[in-house]
Amino acid sequence: MYSLSVTNLTKYYSSTLLFKDLSFRLNPGEVLAIIGWNGSGKSTLLRIIAGLVRPSCGRVEMFCKNAPIPKESRRQFIGMAAPALSLYEELTALENMEFFCRVRGIAYDRRNCLNIMERIGLSEQAEKMCRNYSSGMKQRLKLVQAILHNPPLLLLDEPGCNLDSKGMKIVEDIISDQRQFGMAVIASNERREVDYADRVINLSK
Amino acid sequence: MLSIWMAVIIVAAFLYTEAAVGFPGETSRILFFHVPQAWVATLSFLVSMIASATYLAKRNLKADYLAQSAAELGFLFCVLATVTGSIFAKATWGSFWNWDPRETSIVILLMIYGAYFALRSAVPDPERKRVFAAVYSILAFTTVPFLIFVVPRITASLHPENTMNPTQPGMDPKTLKVFLGSLLAYTGLFVWMLRLKMRILRLEGLKEPRFGDFI
Amino acid sequence: MKGGRWTTQTGSSTYLSEAIAIWLRDLRIEFRTRYAVNAILMFAVTTLVAVSFSIGSFRIEASEKPFLYAVLLWIILVFSALSGLSRSFVKEEEAGTMDALRLSARPQAVFLGKLFFNLTLLGALELIIVPSFILLMKYEIEYPGFFAAMIISGGFGLGAGTTIVAAMIAQASARGALFSALSFPLLLPLMITAIKGCERAAIGMGTAGWAEVKIAVAYVMIMMVVSLFLFPLVWEE
Repeated sequence: MYSLSVTNLTKYYSSTLLFKDLSFRLNPGEVLAIIGWNGSGKSTLLRIIAGLVRPSCGRVEMFCKNAPIPKESRRQFIGMAAPALSLYEELTALENMEFFCRVRGIAYDRRNCLNIMERIGLSEQAEKMCRNYSSGMKQRLKLVQAILHNPPLLLLDEPGCNLDSKGMKIVEDIISDQRQFGMAVIASNERREVDYADRVINLSK
Repeated sequence: MLSIWMAVIIVAAFLYTEAAVGFPGETSRILFFHVPQAWVATLSFLVSMIASATYLAKRNLKADYLAQSAAELGFLFCVLATVTGSIFAKATWGSFWNWDPRETSIVILLMIYGAYFALRSAVPDPERKRVFAAVYSILAFTTVPFLIFVVPRITASLHPENTMNPTQPGMDPKTLKVFLGSLLAYTGLFVWMLRLKMRILRLEGLKEPRFGDFI
Repeated sequence: MKGGRWTTQTGSSTYLSEAIAIWLRDLRIEFRTRYAVNAILMFAVTTLVAVSFSIGSFRIEASEKPFLYAVLLWIILVFSALSGLSRSFVKEEEAGTMDALRLSARPQAVFLGKLFFNLTLLGALELIIVPSFILLMKYEIEYPGFFAAMIISGGFGLGAGTTIVAAMIAQASARGALFSALSFPLLLPLMITAIKGCERAAIGMGTAGWAEVKIAVAYVMIMMVVSLFLFPLVWEE
C-alpha cells in the first residue's frame, strides 16, 4: 500500500560529497540495509528520507497506493530510531510514551503501554526517569517510540546499538513485524542487523 | 562610473552654492547629508526585507545576496545618519543626544541591523543562516509600523520641549533643488554600491563548489 | 510476540491538542527541573531587590514616580524574560530531543505549545514580581484595572515576540547574548507602549479607550500570526 521512492539523491556536507545520484524504490514488505564506512552518510540518508534534512539534489517521495504524500504529512507515516534522536530524560518511560501518543493523536492507554514495557523488559523502570536508564534500556525505549504509531515506514539507524542478545531479539521481532505491514530501512555496519534485510546499498562505493 | 561623478558633483555643488537658510551658522547644510542618509538607511531596510521575503519564497541565492548587501549598506548609512544627526543636535540644541522620536527610530534601526549581522555570523550552516536572517528581517519589519505609531507618543511626553528636525518648512527653491539632488545622489550611490557588493558576494560564492545552491 | 501490532491505532490530532500535549509535557519537565523558572525568577528577584534598595531611600517627586516606576518595572520584566524564555528551545536542542519533536508534531503545534509554555512562565513571573514591586516601592495606582490589563497584555507580547527568536538561537551558537540582542529591538515598541500604559494607569490620566492595551493586543496578534507563518521555515530544514 505504501511505498518509498528515492530519485537521484545527492548530498553535500559543506563541500564534501556524501553520496551522489542515489536512486532506489522500496515496496511494502521490503527491508533495505544501508551500509558504509563511518561518515559515509548513512545517518544523513536516513534523516533525508525522514524529512529532517534537505538533500542538495534529488527527491524523496512516499506514496500511498501510488498517490504521492506531501512532505508536510510524511511524518505521520514514518517512525525513526537513531542514536542522535534522544527521548526526554526528565520523564519516565511511560510519560515519554504518553507524550508521543498524545502528540501523534493516539489515545494513550496506560495498560497497553505497560504491556509493551513488559515485552521489552522495562517494566520495573517504567516509572523511573529516563535519565537513570542504561544505554541499552534507552535504546529499547527509542525503538518502541518509533513504532508507537504503526508507521508504514520504519527507519532504524544502528538499531542494535547498546543492545544485548535479548534486545536484539526485540529488534528482530520489530523488523519481522514491520515486514508484514510496511517497509523498513536499516542503517548499520553490524552483520547481524544487515542480515535482516532483503537488499543492501553500500554508500562507500 | 556616472554615479560617482554625480555624487561628487552634487557634493561639491552645495558646498559652493550657498544655501541661504536661517539656522545657527551653516548647520542647516547638514540637511543635505543627514536626511538622505537616513532615507537610504530606511530604504535599505525595506529592500532587505523584500529580498528576504523573496528568498524565503523562492530560495534564490541572488535574493539573499541582495538582502545581505542591502543590510550592510543600510547599516553603514544608519551609522552615518546617526553621527551627522548628533552633530547637528549638538550644534543646534547643545547636546549630542536627546532621544527625540527621529533619533530614537534611527537607533532602533541601528540595533536591528546589528542584531541581523549577529544572527548571520552565529549560524554555521549556510542555508540555515540565510533562512534565519530572512525570517528575522521580516520580523523586524513588522515591528516598524508599531514604532512609527508608538515612538512619537512616548518621547513627546518625555521631552515636550524638544523640537523635531525641521521638516522642510517652506524651503526656498535653490535649497530644495540641491536637497533633492542630494537625495537622488545618495540613492544613486546606494544602488551602485549595492550592485558592487552583490557582485563581490556572487564571486565569493563561486569559489566553493556549493552544489544545488544555484538551482 | 503475539504477531499483532504493538498498538492498534494510527493517529489523528488537531493543532491545538498537539500544542497542549507539548505544553503540558514542558510544564511537567519544568516542574521537575525548574530549569527556566529558576533563571527568570532569580534574575527578577535580584533586580527587584537591587532597585528597591537603591531607590527606596531616596525621595522621589510624587509627580515623577508613576513614570519612573513604570520604567523600572518593565525593565525588570523584560530582562528577566530575556534571561529565561529561550530555555524551552535551548533545552531541547541540548538534550537532542528536537528531532523526535520534529518527527512527531507539526511545526505550528510546536510553536503554539512552546508559546503557551513561555506565556505560563511569564504569567508566573508577573504574578510574583508585579505585586512585590508595587508593595516594595509603594507604587500608587489610580486605575488598577487598566494597570492589570496592561501588565497582562504586555506579558503576552513578551511571549509572542520572542518565541520564534528562541527557536532560531537554539540552533545557533552564542545563545544567551544573541537571544537578548535579537529580541530587544523586536520588543521595544511593546516595551514603550507598556511603560506608557502603566504610567497612565498610575497617574489616572484619561483612560479613554485604553489605547496602550489595544496597541499591545495588536502587537500580540500580529507577532503571533507572522511567527506562526514563519516558524515552519525556522523549525524544519
